[in-house]
Amino acid sequence: MRILKIMPEKCTGCLRCEIACSYMQTGTFQPAKSVIRVSPFEGHTSYAPYTCPQCAEGWCMTACPVGAITINAAGAKDVLDDTCVGCKLCTIACPYGTMFYDPDTRKAFKCNLCGGDPACAQACPTAAITYDDVPTVDWLGDFAAERTTRLLAGVR
Amino acid sequence: MSPPTLAASATKTKSAPARPGAYAGRLLRVDLTRKKCWAEPWSPDEMRDLLGGVGLGALILYRETATRGGKGNVAWDHPDNRLVLATGPLAGLPVWGTGALTVVTIGAQTNGPTSTQANGFFGTNLKYSGYDAIIVQGRSKDWAYLYIDDDVVELRDAKFLLDKDTWETQEALGAAHGLSGHQLSVYAIGPAGENLVRFAAIHGDYGHVASKNGCGAVMGKKKLKAVAIVKGTQALTAADYRGVIQAADDIAHDLRTDPSAKSLYEYGTLPGVVNLSKLGMLPIKNYTTNVPYDDTSTWEAPKLREGFDHRGHQCNACGMHHCHMQVIRGGEHKGKVVDEPEYEGWSGCGWQIGARDKEGISWLNTECDRACVDVNEFGWVCGWVMECQEKGYITKQQLGFELRWGDIKGAHRLLRMISHREGLGDLLAEGVKIAAERLGGRAKECAIYTLLGASPRGHDHRGRWDEMLDTCTAGTGTLESGVPVHVAELGLPTRITPFDGEAVSRQVAGILGRRHFEDSLGICIFTARTRMENLCRALSAATGWYYTLDEAMRFGRRTAAILRSVRLRCGIGPKLERPSARYGSTPHDGPAKGQAVSEQWEKMVDTWYVQVGYDRKTGKPLPKTLKDLRLDWLARDLWGAKK
Repeated sequence: MRILKIMPEKCTGCLRCEIACSYMQTGTFQPAKSVIRVSPFEGHTSYAPYTCPQCAEGWCMTACPVGAITINAAGAKDVLDDTCVGCKLCTIACPYGTMFYDPDTRKAFKCNLCGGDPACAQACPTAAITYDDVPTVDWLGDFAAERTTRLLAGVR
Repeated sequence: MSPPTLAASATKTKSAPARPGAYAGRLLRVDLTRKKCWAEPWSPDEMRDLLGGVGLGALILYRETATRGGKGNVAWDHPDNRLVLATGPLAGLPVWGTGALTVVTIGAQTNGPTSTQANGFFGTNLKYSGYDAIIVQGRSKDWAYLYIDDDVVELRDAKFLLDKDTWETQEALGAAHGLSGHQLSVYAIGPAGENLVRFAAIHGDYGHVASKNGCGAVMGKKKLKAVAIVKGTQALTAADYRGVIQAADDIAHDLRTDPSAKSLYEYGTLPGVVNLSKLGMLPIKNYTTNVPYDDTSTWEAPKLREGFDHRGHQCNACGMHHCHMQVIRGGEHKGKVVDEPEYEGWSGCGWQIGARDKEGISWLNTECDRACVDVNEFGWVCGWVMECQEKGYITKQQLGFELRWGDIKGAHRLLRMISHREGLGDLLAEGVKIAAERLGGRAKECAIYTLLGASPRGHDHRGRWDEMLDTCTAGTGTLESGVPVHVAELGLPTRITPFDGEAVSRQVAGILGRRHFEDSLGICIFTARTRMENLCRALSAATGWYYTLDEAMRFGRRTAAILRSVRLRCGIGPKLERPSARYGSTPHDGPAKGQAVSEQWEKMVDTWYVQVGYDRKTGKPLPKTLKDLRLDWLARDLWGAKK
């Protein structure tokens, strides 16, 4: 399946992904409602975008009491607006902090991979975010292992 | 007669047309004397007329800084001086490099109008907080900083920030508000601004500087230490979202592939060192020579970048490989995080003062930023003092120590003396022109400045006549016309002989307006290095207007005419539009050897005046020029009702 891959070492913190994401999510440019966020580290010299890794466990789906979270055609967990009652249980259940609640709509919202063509990957000017094929949904373990190996070998 | 106030005309509109896309729709007025902040509307018509940035700032200066019934102007240090911190319609959008800030004020160096830009995330955070610009007026009794978090706008006590440099100020404010990275954009002054150094800059977001004409001294005089803007939560609309993204992609394509921008895309301004040295445009040891004293192959852009551990540190939505943070690998400052010097850092803290030590130069460049000193003027001051000491025009006793070419430690000591106004630093803090005129004699003859008092950019303009002419004639006290790229769009020849004064003048005059248009959009000067047609397309898609190249140039020239009118009102007329003796001298060696700008100067200025449609004697834009620019109200102000 295809998944968003994030390479923090390529990120320069320009936040273009947030602007593009917010347009897909809200129909306007409003980074405050982006479902990809960029965090700074190490004295403002490095940045890391993060968003829902579409984890195999699907904690948000398990927690939702009304079955408002489903899996869309792109394989992403997606919130059904008509069903969501805005109880925020999913935001508590999510171990990654990537379930959000919108006080304006009173609904939960999250990354739905833009239905299969993620705007953040399109917008990223440094290819820090790519939309790639991966062998398993739970790609984070492989990613971490590979990154650790690279860093130990001194390859950036 | 003056134009109506922005707020007044906004309220006159009975059935207001819809706000154009991409605008936040409000201006934030901050009165430091009364400690009050409020939002003012501005109308869609005004948005189209003024765009933002320098377009908006120029009219505010014209309207709000006049004295004696429009015959005079307030000085830079008067409480009625305005400090306009404006962004523009493209700020916060996905177009590359659109976090920009344009500072417009009566500057401390020329005591005339200025427009100077910086980037980072100021414009983005401000727009998403719901404001297009901040207009600061009055003077605070105690040191304050302005805090903006959406509709929470407050002047807060800045005592705990005093004497902190600009990086320390940003760190302290981040810690105080529990915010890091781009969640909080901070533009601040350091000790040089607090001590009213005439070439103090406003610095922000770790490495970005609005540097020209002493805007940091204006902020210091107002006792405003910093402006801190939390990343806002508001939405920005666009008339045609896909159109904005498509125009942004086309601009990015131009920047990646066009020969005029490709090296900027890859290495920012670093290639300037070697490229300009080949053309006689690299300032070396205060213009005493035009021949590099060091092996320039070690100054190639990849070597400058790879000589440090580095990491991209881009502005809003930007894909250029331009701004970088770097870590010094060795030497006395090993392990320090600094901002990668721009070309002008390598020239001002390097070649101009005869330095070779790249790690030292990189460190000194960031020290200038931290102190909030304009690196160009620092270079002109420091190099001048070095030459004067070498020749005995400034003695060791006068300065307090010996300062030789290439002495980074000594240069840093000088920087501290200037930014704290200690010893001779008190005089040097007035800038090269005033210091040289006060010392007089042979020392004055070696000083690089314009008679306006402005700092030339970090080049040897004796090999770059277009910039010398632009610097001397500008209404802003720094480069005003624009970068001569894609000039075929404007019907100008794509290549000219650089030492043909007539051709140079026609080119400078021909592109007048381009820079003011760019600096009103909220975009970086480097990501605007595409065809203007692309910028107009982005602006049209964002706002819903049909904005053409013709309208863009007319807008830019209108802004130039307004700024020039303010400059004349400040008492800065055509007689001061000249280089100093050294600045306008003839290189005796190097690639521009023997090219004498002084021999062609008068003719160049005459041609420029004819081409831009200004009166050579008074400096005023001619009535016909103003009529063509649809500035009838300004024509009445300048020439009276009958003309």
